[in-house]
Amino acid sequence: MIRQEKVLLVGDNPFHGISHLSQERSRVRGDAPTDPEYAAKLIQISLDNGANGFMFSVSDKTLSILNILRNNGTLNSLGLYAIVPYAYEYVRLSGKVGGISGLAKKVVKEIALSGSFNAMATGLKGVLKTDLNSLVKTYLAYEISRIKSSAGKHAKLDSVLLHQLITDMCLGFGLDWVFRLYVDFMLKAGLEPGFNTGNLALLVKKFRELGINLEKVLIAAPLNKAGFQMVPTKKECENALTELPKPNVLAISILAAGYLKPLEAIDYIAGLPNIKGVAVGVSKETQACETFRLLKEKLVKA
Amino acid sequence: MNVEKLKIAVVGFGKMGMLHASILNVLPGVQLIALCEKSGLIRKFLKKAFSNIYVVDDVEKFSNLDLDAIYVTTPIPSHFPVAKNIYSAGIACNLFIEKTLASNFDDAKKLCDLAQKFGGVNMVGYMRRFTVTFLKAKDLLDGEVIGEPISFKAYAFSSDFFRVKQNSKVQTPSIGILRDLGCHAIDLALWFFGDFEVEKSKLESIVSGGSEDSAYITVKAPNGLYGEFNVSWCVDKHRMPEVGFMIKGPKGVMNVNDDNLELVLSGGKRYRWFRHDLGDSVAFWLGRPEYYREDEYFVNAVINKNSVEPSFQISAKVDRLIDEIKAKAY
Repeated sequence: MIRQEKVLLVGDNPFHGISHLSQERSRVRGDAPTDPEYAAKLIQISLDNGANGFMFSVSDKTLSILNILRNNGTLNSLGLYAIVPYAYEYVRLSGKVGGISGLAKKVVKEIALSGSFNAMATGLKGVLKTDLNSLVKTYLAYEISRIKSSAGKHAKLDSVLLHQLITDMCLGFGLDWVFRLYVDFMLKAGLEPGFNTGNLALLVKKFRELGINLEKVLIAAPLNKAGFQMVPTKKECENALTELPKPNVLAISILAAGYLKPLEAIDYIAGLPNIKGVAVGVSKETQACETFRLLKEKLVKA
Repeated sequence: MNVEKLKIAVVGFGKMGMLHASILNVLPGVQLIALCEKSGLIRKFLKKAFSNIYVVDDVEKFSNLDLDAIYVTTPIPSHFPVAKNIYSAGIACNLFIEKTLASNFDDAKKLCDLAQKFGGVNMVGYMRRFTVTFLKAKDLLDGEVIGEPISFKAYAFSSDFFRVKQNSKVQTPSIGILRDLGCHAIDLALWFFGDFEVEKSKLESIVSGGSEDSAYITVKAPNGLYGEFNVSWCVDKHRMPEVGFMIKGPKGVMNVNDDNLELVLSGGKRYRWFRHDLGDSVAFWLGRPEYYREDEYFVNAVINKNSVEPSFQISAKVDRLIDEIKAKAY
């Protein structure tokens, strides 16, 4: 049961035109949720009804939403949970710029144009010496600077999470050094290191093997009554939750992409151990209002 | 062959190479032992990142590794020369090649001949055959739930180049929309309905002069089945590539795509399945669950020496049809 942290986050999937139930559903929603002004309005309504944070992949769109929230004074009351990098956009981009090499050149150019001398110097060292640590750190610093420049220095950036595709690819390859480096880097930056994963049970097992302190990291993973995207099984994900030392899991896909009714979905989450909070995407004003009112009632007041 | 751990290498470390290599590394009974990548810079980083994986610039350097299988995930035009080298040098006889098998039917046929000569398991990465919605559709079609299909309309859409201005710096892949995305719809149609011939085709350049950005094709099968394909990477609201079919039969209509399957029977009964309803879970999730299923299936076939679908022989039909579509295009 969630009693202390009360993290109820607005997710950004609808703002990118994403529905994990079907693309048809996102087309039916229309363009409104993808308009940054309207998205900012949905976040404001969600806040008025119990939400207290925003979880987003760092992209031009979400940064412009942050800008709007900053200008209308909403941002100071909002906990920010950023996901980096926006991997799917990079995958799409790689097809347009000549594959992985072309993509790497483009990112390096963007970092260079960002104007951060430190980032440029560390990045250059990384390229010249093929030093992966320096490159990863440079990239993370660049993403954090993008968030801060849009959100402002007073914004409450609570956590930066490694994107699901990257977390799970590192898990697959056994790139343990990336997990360690990421945790160290974020803790030094005063941020809670987060990992978005589609393989919750495997990731928890891996962190235990590596001796990564599970009290210091945040994990975002699909958890829902339907068992949708709960890998390898719903049962094993539930077991992984019981092994955690404290509530440090953000449940995502709690509605199984709209497959479940909110009440049954939230009741299931309320019965899980070690849940720090949830992230739920909303695409309409009434939905924002009803969903977060219900989440607050069921998860916070319980 | 080492039956304890299958020794596998991946050629080409682009997005598909990364995906397959990562999945292979977690598959039980598999040891990812080598990577081949043309880019010197990427190779340098790979050597630093993977201390226990052998990284080379040429497949011929795999020759002393006693490999059980190789994945070829390089750009399509290099599939033929790379696979030919692997067979000719006797590096491995079990080959997985990402779709499409080759960049034309002639090369595809040559690869089929090489595969037959050297034996082993050969497979092409048409991963949508492992998507739960299309698997269910195949099951229902084989069970003649809608009767023998009379007609179908297929689409393969993405927004990758939607609203890209003409003469912008953005370049579409030179392989064109048919080999990039349309091939999935063609392969599924061959799987669902058997062989067919191209009647008419129209190709369109939208992004730049000479680019192959959309196609409309009509086909006919010997049993009278009529089909249409509509493919494009310039369509709005398709953030992820999507393939779908509407199939009509004497006993009903089926609509199936990557996300769901809807069945309407002539009596009015209606059924709908989402991925959620069709057991879409896998042991390790990266990209889409179908990639894991596909790799697991290939690896098990190599271990058990089973034949697989889609083999080179089956997939070469896609290359033949694409050549036909281009030859008949107006």
